[in-house]
Amino acid sequence: MDESKDEPKDFIRLKSEKLSVDEVSALVISPCCGAVSLFIGTTRNNFEGKKVIHLEYEAYTSMAESEIKKICRDVRQKWPSVKHIAVHHRLGVVPVTEASVIIAVSSPHRAESLEAVTYCINTLKASVPIWKKEIYEDEYSWKENKECFWANSEK
Amino acid sequence: QVSVLYFARSAELAGLRCESLWVPRQVTSLQLWEEIVKVHPRLAVIRDQVVFAVRQEYVLLGDQLLVLQPGDEVAIIPPISGG
Repeated sequence: MDESKDEPKDFIRLKSEKLSVDEVSALVISPCCGAVSLFIGTTRNNFEGKKVIHLEYEAYTSMAESEIKKICRDVRQKWPSVKHIAVHHRLGVVPVTEASVIIAVSSPHRAESLEAVTYCINTLKASVPIWKKEIYEDEYSWKENKECFWANSEK
Repeated sequence: QVSVLYFARSAELAGLRCESLWVPRQVTSLQLWEEIVKVHPRLAVIRDQVVFAVRQEYVLLGDQLLVLQPGDEVAIIPPISGG
């Protein structure tokens, strides 16, 4: 009987189906880890007084996956005890209150996974080629992350 | 000949997501932008807000010299909003 080696793994997925917190947590759970930290990004129903009907996401998929891989590599350099990392991002239409992104990190003790999750979502917002369109009742708007260094901050 | 990919607002302005364009083998990133705007003049309005991704590495619009191979992917990257 083969015991599969518990090698550190990165689980990266861009998908149009509904994301599952159970599924993403289960990916990173490991016998050697006492901590799993989780971030869930969900869709808000309002922006500047306008009602948001839903969000639509699109991605430069191949580059988004490679940028997320770079983030995972950076995480492992900064926090070498991190075990598994999972980043699932939804594409296409995401209704209000549903998750657009779930990030889970496991580590033996809690400090590293908590810090690594924060680093992952902040860096994702600054560097991964994914775009969000907010659909309101009678118009829409392409959003721009303030972390994005090539966006105009003054309009 | 390179593959040019358009995303988000740039895809709306250009009216398409992907096409092959003839470009010089060596060109600055700004010159490359200008070539693309000749084909899709409506893109001019977002010039100050985009970067390129050439072979999946970000490149600012400017003097950086690009050496392009046939079939290289060049993507127009408006401000991102993932997460």
